[in-house]
Amino acid sequence: MTTMERPDLAAEIRSAILSADPRLSKFSPLRRILTYDDFNSGTHGWTELLGNYNGNGDLSTVDDHMRDFRPPQLSNCSFFDIGSHGAMTGSYALKLATRAYQGHTATAIRRLTMSGRGLLQIEAYFTFKAEATIDGSAGDQFGDVTWDGNLHPSEAQFGCFTVATDLCGDGGLRYHTVARYLNTTLDNKLSRQWVYPIVPEPTPREHLEGKVKLAYGADFTAPDPKDWHQFGEPQELCYNEVPTKVNWHYLRWVIDTAARRNVELQVNDRIMDMSAVPVPPYKERYDSLENLLNFYFSVRTHSTVRNFLFLDSVLISTEW
Amino acid sequence: MRQVQTAVLERDTTFVSDFATEPYEVAWAGEARFFVHTLAASGDDLAVRLVTQISPDGLTWCDLDGHEHVVTGPGLVTWPVGQFGQWLRLRGTVAGNSPSAKLRIYLTVKS
Repeated sequence: MTTMERPDLAAEIRSAILSADPRLSKFSPLRRILTYDDFNSGTHGWTELLGNYNGNGDLSTVDDHMRDFRPPQLSNCSFFDIGSHGAMTGSYALKLATRAYQGHTATAIRRLTMSGRGLLQIEAYFTFKAEATIDGSAGDQFGDVTWDGNLHPSEAQFGCFTVATDLCGDGGLRYHTVARYLNTTLDNKLSRQWVYPIVPEPTPREHLEGKVKLAYGADFTAPDPKDWHQFGEPQELCYNEVPTKVNWHYLRWVIDTAARRNVELQVNDRIMDMSAVPVPPYKERYDSLENLLNFYFSVRTHSTVRNFLFLDSVLISTEW
Repeated sequence: MRQVQTAVLERDTTFVSDFATEPYEVAWAGEARFFVHTLAASGDDLAVRLVTQISPDGLTWCDLDGHEHVVTGPGLVTWPVGQFGQWLRLRGTVAGNSPSAKLRIYLTVKS
C-alpha cells in the first residue's frame, strides 16, 4: 500500500508512536512538542517569578506584591499520615507552596519565545492541596465546610490556582491569557468556578510610572476581585476529602497566538469553549519582549493555611 | 551529570525577631549548603543565631545538630548540611539592643 492510498499514513504513524510511548500517550500534543517536563530530572526551567529591580540589583525596588512568590520545589508528595505518596510519573512532582499568609501567591514560570504564530497548547497533570493542620488548632469547620466523614474543612482552606501566559510580539504588543480555578471565594466558601480577568496584569513599569501600587499579598494577576468574571459552569474536582490524598487531574488549554485569542480549556472530562473570553492587551507597547512566550502556574491561599499546587508533568506544543 | 538546585528562601528580608524559614523539600538531594548573606545590620550587640532544622513531614521540626551559625554584621556565612531527611529550613534567633538584620538566605542542594 502506498502513501497515495493512505493519505493519512503520517498521522496514523504519529498517533501510533505517541500511543506507544507511556510518557506521551497521556497527552494530546499539537504538531510540534516544544517542551516535555516530568520533574524526575529537575525543574526543567520552571522557576520562581520575581518582579523587576533597578540597575543596581537593589531588590528593595521590587514591587511588594511581586517579591515573594517562593521557589518551586521537587516533591515526592510526602505527608504526615502515610509518608511518601509519590507522583503520577515516577517519584517527583513540581510543587508550588504559598506561605501561611492570607492572599499569598506562589508561582512557577517557564520562559520561552515564539518561533511562529498559531495554536499553542499546554497540557498538565496536576493536583491541589491545602497543608494539613495537626496541632489541634484547626477544628472540624472552616468556611462553609463542616467535617462529615466525607467533606473535610481542608478543602475550604484552598483558595485558587491559575494557569496563564505572558505573550508579546509584533512590535511590542503584550497580552496575557488566563484561566483560574476559584476553589473558594475570598471568604472561604466553596465556589469551584473557572474565572478569567478582564484587565491585563499590573506590571512593574506601571508601578514605576506611578499608575499602580499594590501591597504584599495582593492578587498580582488582577488585584480587584470585581475584574474576575466566570466562564463555564462550576466544576467539582477530586480534592479527595482530606489534605493528604493526591489524585492527578488532566488539564489541556489551547490559545491562538495568531489571532491573540483563547480557544478552549479541558479539565478532565469537561471541555470549555473560551473563544468568547476576551484577551485585553496592554495599551502601551513593551520593549525587550519580542516573541515573548511565558507560561506560569500560580496558587493563592485565601486562608492562613499554606496552599500547594503539584504538577506531575507538563507538555507544551504548538501548531507552528 | 548531577542535579543541583538553588532556592532563595528569604530575599532581602529584614528580621527584628526570631523566625523560621519556609519548609523546603530536598528529598532528592544527597547534600546541601546554606548561604546567608547579611546585607545590612543594626543594633548594639546584634547576634543572629542560625540553626539548621529537619522534619519528617514538613510540619514538625527539630534541630539537625548542635551547631549555631552566628551573624553579627554584613557578610556571607555558609555551612554544609548532610544526613537530612525530606525537608530543610532554618530557625533564627535575633538578639541585641534594637536588633535588625537584612538577610538573603540561599539553600543549594545537590544530588
